[in-house]
Amino acid sequence: MRAEPNPARLEAFLARLYVDSDARSAFLGDRVGSANAAGLSDAERESVVGLDAAALELAACSFSHKRVAMQRLVAQRARQRSWFQRFWTRLLAR
Amino acid sequence: MRQLNSGDRVGLSWRSELAAGIWQHLESIDIVEVIADDYFDAPLRRVRALSTLATQVPLIVHGIGLGLASASAVSEPHLNRIARFVNRVQPESWSEHLAFVRAGSIELGHLAAPPRSAATIAGTLANLGRVRAVVGSAPALENVASLLDPPGSELDEASWVSAIVSGSKAPLLLDLHNLYSNAQNFGFSAAEYLARLPVEQISIVHVAGGTWLDAPNGANQARRLRLDDHLHAVPGAVFSLLEELAFRAPQRLTVILERDGAYPPFSELLAELNHAREAVARGRARRSESERARRAG
Repeated sequence: MRAEPNPARLEAFLARLYVDSDARSAFLGDRVGSANAAGLSDAERESVVGLDAAALELAACSFSHKRVAMQRLVAQRARQRSWFQRFWTRLLAR
Repeated sequence: MRQLNSGDRVGLSWRSELAAGIWQHLESIDIVEVIADDYFDAPLRRVRALSTLATQVPLIVHGIGLGLASASAVSEPHLNRIARFVNRVQPESWSEHLAFVRAGSIELGHLAAPPRSAATIAGTLANLGRVRAVVGSAPALENVASLLDPPGSELDEASWVSAIVSGSKAPLLLDLHNLYSNAQNFGFSAAEYLARLPVEQISIVHVAGGTWLDAPNGANQARRLRLDDHLHAVPGAVFSLLEELAFRAPQRLTVILERDGAYPPFSELLAELNHAREAVARGRARRSESERARRAG
C-alpha cells in the first residue's frame, strides 16, 4: 500500500536524522530503505534520498553542540534554584 | 553616536556576560533584546531585574523554543510559559523563529528549518492563530539559518517566508546573517531575496557573525558552508545588506546585534553597533536622495 504524504511524519524523520547518530548511519547506508521503513510517501522519499550527507553531518554536529550548551544552562539554573530553595527554607524555618 | 535621525534604533541582545557592559554604556544602546527561554525557570530576582532594566532602556523579548513553523501544533506548556513571561515583562514587542524544534518525542534542542511546503505554511498560520489567542499578540517572525536545504520543500525560502508573513499579517524579524548564510550555502542572491520580501512588514533586524565550515564533498573537493554561530564579528556583507534594507524600507527599523559567546572587549561590540548605525544612515541617505530625484523628475 502506498503511503500518503504526512508532513509531521517527515519532520519527525528529519529530526531523528539530526539527533540520532545510529539512525543517521543507517540512513546514509541505505537511504531508500530507511525512508521506506519510516513510512514516507514516494514524494517524501524522493526528497530525502538526495540529502547532502556532508551538510547533514555538519548540521547534526551543530545541533549536538547546541543541545550540550542548553543542558549545561539547565543544570546551572537547577543549581541556582536549589540554592534559592535552601535559602528560603532556612529563612522560613527561623 | 547614538540617535539616528530616521528614528531607527540599534541595540544589543542581553546576555549575563554582557550585563556590566550594557549597564555601563546604556547611552550607546537604544534597545535591549532578552531571550524569553532564559527566564522560564529563573529566580524571581532575575525577572525583577528586567523590570529595573526596562526603566532604563526599551526591551523586546525573543523566543527560541516555540517551534512555530511546523505541520504539528506548538507545545502548549511552552506557549503558556511564553505568554506568562511576555505578560509579566510587557515588552514593546516579541519575536519567534520560523523553525521547528521538536517532532514527536524528539527535542532537537535548537532551530531546524522545516520543509518549505504548503503544509508547513498552513501549520505555521494555525500555530500563529493559537499563539495570538494565548499570548494576546503575534510575534515578529524570524527567518532561520540552515546548513541543509530542507527536504520536502516545494517553495524557495523567500516565497515561503513571504507567504507566512503576508498570510499572518505578523511583523517580520529579518536576520541578515541568516539570510547571508543561506544565500552562501544554497547559492541564491541575498539582494534578490530581500527585494522579494514584504519589506514594509519588517520591524526588527538581527545582525550577527558566523564562521565557515569545510564540508567534504567527495572527489577531493571541499566546499564551504556558512554557520550562523554568533561567536564572531558581523561580516561586511551583512552591513551591506543592512544598508540595502534601510534604503528599501520606509518604516522605522530596530536593529539588534546578537552575540552568544567568545565575547570580545565591550568596546568592540560598541564599534559594531556604530557600524550598524552607519549602515542604516547610508541606506536612509540613499533613500532620501532617491525620493528627491523622483519628486524632481
